[in-house]
Amino acid sequence: MQYALYNRMTRANSRMMYGVCVAFTAAILLLLILVTGYLISIGIGSITLDFFRKLPIPNGMEGYPGGLKNGLVGTGILIALASAIGIPVGMLAGIYLSEYSANSLLATPTRFICDVLSGVPSIVVGILGYELVVRPIGHHNGYAGAAALAFIMVPIIARTTEEMLRLVPNSYREASIALGATKARTIMKVVVPAATGSIITGVMLAVARVAGETAPLLFTALGSRLLTTNPAEPFPSLTREIFELARGPEPAQHRLAWAGILVLIALIFVLNLTVRFFSQSVRGRVAHA
Amino acid sequence: MTQASIGPVMEYLTPRPAPPARPSLIRAQRRLGSDAILKALARAAAVTIILMLASLVVVLARAAVPSIKAFGFKFLVSSEWRPNPLETPKLTSDGSPIIEDGETVMEVQPPVFGALPVMFGTAVSSALALILAVPLSVGAALFLVRISPKVLKGPISFLIEFLAAIPSIAYGIWGLFVLAPLLQSHIEPACRWAFERMGSPAALSWLFIEKISLPGGETITRDIPMAGRDMLCGGIVLAIMILPIITAISRDVLKSVPRAQIEGTVALGATWWQSSREMLRYSRSGLFGAVMLGLARAAGETMAITMVIGNNNQIRPSVFAPAQTMSSLLANEFAEASLEIHRSALTEVALILLVMSLGFNIVARYLVVGKSGGRTAAAH
Repeated sequence: MQYALYNRMTRANSRMMYGVCVAFTAAILLLLILVTGYLISIGIGSITLDFFRKLPIPNGMEGYPGGLKNGLVGTGILIALASAIGIPVGMLAGIYLSEYSANSLLATPTRFICDVLSGVPSIVVGILGYELVVRPIGHHNGYAGAAALAFIMVPIIARTTEEMLRLVPNSYREASIALGATKARTIMKVVVPAATGSIITGVMLAVARVAGETAPLLFTALGSRLLTTNPAEPFPSLTREIFELARGPEPAQHRLAWAGILVLIALIFVLNLTVRFFSQSVRGRVAHA
Repeated sequence: MTQASIGPVMEYLTPRPAPPARPSLIRAQRRLGSDAILKALARAAAVTIILMLASLVVVLARAAVPSIKAFGFKFLVSSEWRPNPLETPKLTSDGSPIIEDGETVMEVQPPVFGALPVMFGTAVSSALALILAVPLSVGAALFLVRISPKVLKGPISFLIEFLAAIPSIAYGIWGLFVLAPLLQSHIEPACRWAFERMGSPAALSWLFIEKISLPGGETITRDIPMAGRDMLCGGIVLAIMILPIITAISRDVLKSVPRAQIEGTVALGATWWQSSREMLRYSRSGLFGAVMLGLARAAGETMAITMVIGNNNQIRPSVFAPAQTMSSLLANEFAEASLEIHRSALTEVALILLVMSLGFNIVARYLVVGKSGGRTAAAH
């Protein structure tokens, strides 16, 4: 009799936990919808054409609160500069990890450090940028911001490149070397092209990640209300402008911040969606090859 | 292989009259050729990554030296954070002010820095985030691995990963303009009402009442003003932010449990939950790694927490009081720090943060990669 009771209890318990798991997943999805729903709906209500066309205008002047053209341009330039440093270094490191001495004394710690570096708080990277670039130059500048963003990109790109190059079948390399190609030629003409699609995926994920970064820019690029294309000066960025506006007291500034967030999220969503599309088609190709 | 790719192959196969090669030239080419260059560049890039970590530690440590010298171990246990010099009346040994020529003699107290309040803030907000996020995440991971129909798996995973891609400042704005007002106007009063009904005076005074010591030496007791921007708000926002990473890694860890392990328990008559519990037990170190990664992220998170935690640099035991974390302190003060010692003290805070997050990450990577062998899990 007691045994039957025990049985019934465990069954009920199991059913309950099953329900709890379903409920928890539903709760997470609900949270997601709540957060993004708010961000998108308020953002859409706040965005105007002026957002893309105008600079921030101080309170009391005509056209207040203006737009965030400076931030958009600034973020674009910062990402381009960071990519110019981060993508080559990251890809070369990935090539080293995958193609040269994958288990050597250099490769194993490098791989480990890549993983650890991608977990370093980004604000700490900002302080490194301040100490290494801003302090010697003497004032805040865009190059320091770009360097800090590149610092964040490199480990992500290195690890994705490595993973993607490993997916290229070894027979490709063997065929190329059997035809007399050098190792460098094999890598540049056979292995990397075979993985190009998925490497682009990794690069875009890294770009999406740094596009939303604010903390490393606070002490390096600093920010600016002006439209500048000279990275040697204090440099504006979308995220940092949003942060300043959100901290301000005026509802009009808050609306501008919401609009900025919407643009940022749209950008990241598009990048993610493209990545998903890319990686699926690439996986299909590799599987067929 | 398509038709087009045969082209270069044919080129290789067609015999061509080779120019007479000079052995010395070939050797030189091999030494300086593309092969050597690419290898050197790739190796340099790998070394760069190691140097990046080294420079991070060395530069921060060097910049923190003045603060370490000035405050030493006291930095970690003192809760006084006073970035500006303070003028106070000079006291004699028995505690009375010295008066010369009818004026009180003043002395300048140098700035003092102690990191205990921000360490407390980081610890409590991260702990709150974990308490809220871990059950949800592990439950959702179990759902994705064991319950979800195939059609739902892809979209749910994508949505959760998209949640991870939303920038921290977006969560900050959501927390500041949506969650904090909601907490202030509804949830926190409701909590207070519930606690009053339950009639636990100890919890009530711990959560809702604080003692403030005034400069004159007397203390007053008052209700903590419900500001919305407080430790609780910070914990909730952090929890939402670390949900995706813990879910994704737990899912990968649970996926790697051998099928036979589950089938065995089911064959012995285990219920769904009993076999799931076996799964959780089997992969506990990997799950612990996932939690550690979430903890590392919560502790290092900056922008969102700066916007919602209220930025009050004191140790206050209630979760309804504003607080400050290490990262939010940096975000708030580093750019404006004008005194060298102030900046150095902030850098020391950053150094503590760095060492802490390195520690969490190293333990987590070891657990996740070591036990599940999952490269996918490690890549997150």
